[in-house]
Amino acid sequence: MEFKDYYKTLGVERNASADDIKRAYRKLARQFHPDINKTPGAEARFKEIGEAHDVLKDPEKRAAYDEVGAGYQAGQEFRPPPGWDAGFEHGEAFSETDAAAASDFFEALFGRARGPRRGPGAGFATEGFRAEGIKIRGGDHQAKVLIDLEDAYRGAQRTISLRGVELGEEGRPRLRQRTLNVQIPKGIRQGQQIRLAGQGEPGIGGGPPGDLYLEIEFNPHSLYRVEGKDVYLDLPVTPWEAALGKKVRAPTPEGAVNLQIPAGSAAGRKLRLKGRGIPGEPPGDLYVVLQIALPAAETDAARRIYRDMEEKLDFNPRAKLGV
Amino acid sequence: MTKDQEGYALGTVIDEATAVTLEEISFFCSVRRERIVALVDEGVLEPKGREAGEWRFAGHSLRRAARAIRLQQDFEIDVAAVALVLDLLDQIESLKARLPPNARN
Repeated sequence: MEFKDYYKTLGVERNASADDIKRAYRKLARQFHPDINKTPGAEARFKEIGEAHDVLKDPEKRAAYDEVGAGYQAGQEFRPPPGWDAGFEHGEAFSETDAAAASDFFEALFGRARGPRRGPGAGFATEGFRAEGIKIRGGDHQAKVLIDLEDAYRGAQRTISLRGVELGEEGRPRLRQRTLNVQIPKGIRQGQQIRLAGQGEPGIGGGPPGDLYLEIEFNPHSLYRVEGKDVYLDLPVTPWEAALGKKVRAPTPEGAVNLQIPAGSAAGRKLRLKGRGIPGEPPGDLYVVLQIALPAAETDAARRIYRDMEEKLDFNPRAKLGV
Repeated sequence: MTKDQEGYALGTVIDEATAVTLEEISFFCSVRRERIVALVDEGVLEPKGREAGEWRFAGHSLRRAARAIRLQQDFEIDVAAVALVLDLLDQIESLKARLPPNARN
């Protein structure tokens, strides 16, 4: 397994003070928190930062890390010395999120004791629901599902693999891997959730299981952008198509259609294809936004036409600018 | 859980029309209901109904509440600050949605 340089992750010196570490962590967390930063990779980075902070903020863990990590560089093959962590207590309840979050490196050093992360997705070890001798409903679980815009038009099927904790014999939590086949209904929109009743954390003491919430996210599309249930397409047209009007082919998520470009269209004109957005009751609309593409003046013939226009058309696009 | 003919699980889509209770939101966020009530008091969540027992939240409130709670915990900020953060994030998201796909990140 690779050695992780937690100091490097936070961008601090090895002799950084607790305040330095906190400051560096906060600054990076504000930048990469997955609730703030939606770019791919931000969540993974946030987990690394969190893991580094978990270790370095705790004087005992930091001392243990410094001792065992002396002489290692980031990325170097790492082998913990035998029996080195005998004094640590592991085996605290951990949730799906935590088990997935901690790196192998972290687990080798500190076991699976990271967290438990409080709050959404934290499973059953949570405030307000801890009690003994009574039936407790299992916690709700969340997972993200990436689909294409086209899937929202047609509906889709997904097989989701879930790593979760279940209570085994003697009430001990153990890891369980399972898969679930899910139908993504037609008309689903970015950010919506699908609730699967009873597919969350198992209950305690015979309590009912929690629910599984799948959060739908669209993969970025090369042609379309989506706002709620409306879909936008930038469509390049020629100056003569915009000026004189023309029937052209335009792609839509449901297949290409014929589209009438009205004569006298300006760049940025929006043509609405009613009901061609994401299906629903009522369905969204598809907006085609015209972009005027200029042919290159690379040949004599093309240059001649541009010169011809210059001479024959009395056209000043800057008239309104007072120049 | 219901399944279609091919054995795929059919869930319930949570959309604006779905009514969610205070209990469901607190459970989803794994927090005491007081934390959710505080979000309502700050205007982060806007349920229908007069008293907490009768409150019905729109479906997207589940995600919004979870996001608010995570931000509060991870940055140790109070409810007023989280309300401001969420409003600003909403603005950024709606502005980004208007950008052409290749200019968004």
